[in-house]
Amino acid sequence: MRWNKKLILFLGTIIVSVAIVFFVKNNAFIYNTPVGHVEDVQVLSKVLQEDNFGNKDYIVRQRLKIRILNGKQRNKLLNVNNEYSLSQATDLKYRTGQDVLLHFNYRKGHVAGTTITDLKRDVPLTILATIAISLLVLMGITGLRALFSLLLNTVLFFIAVEIDVQQEGFGVLAIFSILAGIFSLITLTLVLGWNKKMLVSFLTTVVGTFSAIIIGMIVFKITHNGGLHFETMEYVTQNPEPLFLAEIILGSLGAVMDESTDIIVSLAKLRKENPTISMKQLWISGRNIGKTIMGPLLNVLFMIFMSDTFSMMVLYLRNGNGWGYSFSMNMELGFVQSLISGIGIVLTVPIASWLVGIFFKKGAVRNA
Amino acid sequence: MPNAVIILAVILAALMMVVGGATGIRAFMSIILNFIVLFLNIALISWSFPAMAITIISSLIILAITIFMGSDDDRITQNAFYSSVLVLVVLVILIVLIKPHLMIQGFGNENNEDLEGMSLLIGIKFNDVMTSTMIISTLGAVAEAAIAIATGLEELIETTPDLDLAKIFHHGYDIGKEIIGTALNTLFFGFFGSFLGLFTWYVKLNYSFSEFFNNKIFAAEFSMILIGFIGVISTVPLTAWVIQFRQRHAEKHDSV
Repeated sequence: MRWNKKLILFLGTIIVSVAIVFFVKNNAFIYNTPVGHVEDVQVLSKVLQEDNFGNKDYIVRQRLKIRILNGKQRNKLLNVNNEYSLSQATDLKYRTGQDVLLHFNYRKGHVAGTTITDLKRDVPLTILATIAISLLVLMGITGLRALFSLLLNTVLFFIAVEIDVQQEGFGVLAIFSILAGIFSLITLTLVLGWNKKMLVSFLTTVVGTFSAIIIGMIVFKITHNGGLHFETMEYVTQNPEPLFLAEIILGSLGAVMDESTDIIVSLAKLRKENPTISMKQLWISGRNIGKTIMGPLLNVLFMIFMSDTFSMMVLYLRNGNGWGYSFSMNMELGFVQSLISGIGIVLTVPIASWLVGIFFKKGAVRNA
Repeated sequence: MPNAVIILAVILAALMMVVGGATGIRAFMSIILNFIVLFLNIALISWSFPAMAITIISSLIILAITIFMGSDDDRITQNAFYSSVLVLVVLVILIVLIKPHLMIQGFGNENNEDLEGMSLLIGIKFNDVMTSTMIISTLGAVAEAAIAIATGLEELIETTPDLDLAKIFHHGYDIGKEIIGTALNTLFFGFFGSFLGLFTWYVKLNYSFSEFFNNKIFAAEFSMILIGFIGVISTVPLTAWVIQFRQRHAEKHDSV
């Protein structure tokens, strides 16, 4: 009986996933922009190129035969030219069978020319998303809870971004600090339930994160942003420095919560089993748990912050720039973000031990 | 002018030493060593070495540094290392299969300002650079999850001497369930922290849903989060399996 249920869940997940992917594959009719299917590709020319730094590359002109999939021009065939290079830094090499987004240039009400704006990427993204979600669903109630928490946090994140844009970037730090608080309340409640452990973890997360940010701000202040190029931040539409601090708060939040729940759950258990345990013993136990997880946790963030810069780094290095300059223009801010997050992760250890000592008073742990 | 990077690094090193003692110093060293590996990884790729081979070697070194410098217990670290290597294999296959359909290499229109004055015809395939980015971005999370599950299982094995071998996999799965929520959160917030600027850009410039969802940079970030999730989730059964396999092997060895 139990097996049957599992099998049904498994098959059901696969069928639903396939149905979703199939729908997205054929969803051109819901697009407002014209969508086309590449029926055939023909190479027109290939020209070798060499830049000032001796980099050898080539540019290929291709002619794509495209069938329109939606709108008034549906099923119409047309030829569109496209150029791509070996490196494909900002151009793309299209292949037969791909779907692309198009732009019609109208002249006097008639389509006078067509350009490809981008690849239609919704299908591969949907495939990845359905794999991830299916795996979580198959994990049962824990997986569903994690999924719910991620979706809820995503929605809140978008609302906060919307508010930030409406405020024109003023108060970005305040908006995302409040959001960070809400994020931790929701996430920790879903992980630990609504109880004292959750409250202590929440306080630890808030105090740990903000102590790190304050240390970071003090260092920026006394060094007059020494060596930091906030102007190199990507995609910036507002004052970069507070945005950077907001990014640090959000970025380190998950790691700090992870660590504080680990420590607090173990220490609360310790205090419950042994109510006479002293503050010093709590501190030692907290340290022992914390010290083994802080390195791996910091590495999680470090890999995320650093790997994002690879493409730009390669471009800088191949454009005749030195290592030091390329680092400071591309990787330095990610490095600083990692360092400040690391400070938060480390500070969480003593803060968690201290707060457990205060909140789980000797002999008053029945409700813990 | 004093350099903020150095001051912050000194503060972090000092705090890690005070809080973690020798383990803390090793944790700090693991970050520095990983940074050196990452930098060499990029430098070698920019010198036209084969990106896939370089990335896989770098990934193995990074996993080894992160795991073996994180803990003293040999059994935990070995189990965690083997299982994270298995996860790496799964992720590399997934990335190789999905990437030709995503085409997220290089830069988007949103990068135009940063690209001004640069030669883009550099003779290096940004496609390969992206493979490296995607693989390496998930390594930390995979290593962390593998360590957590291996540690939990090891504790269980030590405290229950007559533990049924056949049930180790099941216990591993239970421990995995406990950590999966927080492990995913770490990854999730890590990514949000790195593209807050990008999202304000999309909202400010009024991207339509289709523009936004098919956008190259969004697709790159979103696929990296999802691949990271898939990596962390698959760590759970793979670690449990590695431990069961090695335990069974060790017992066979003992009885001979």
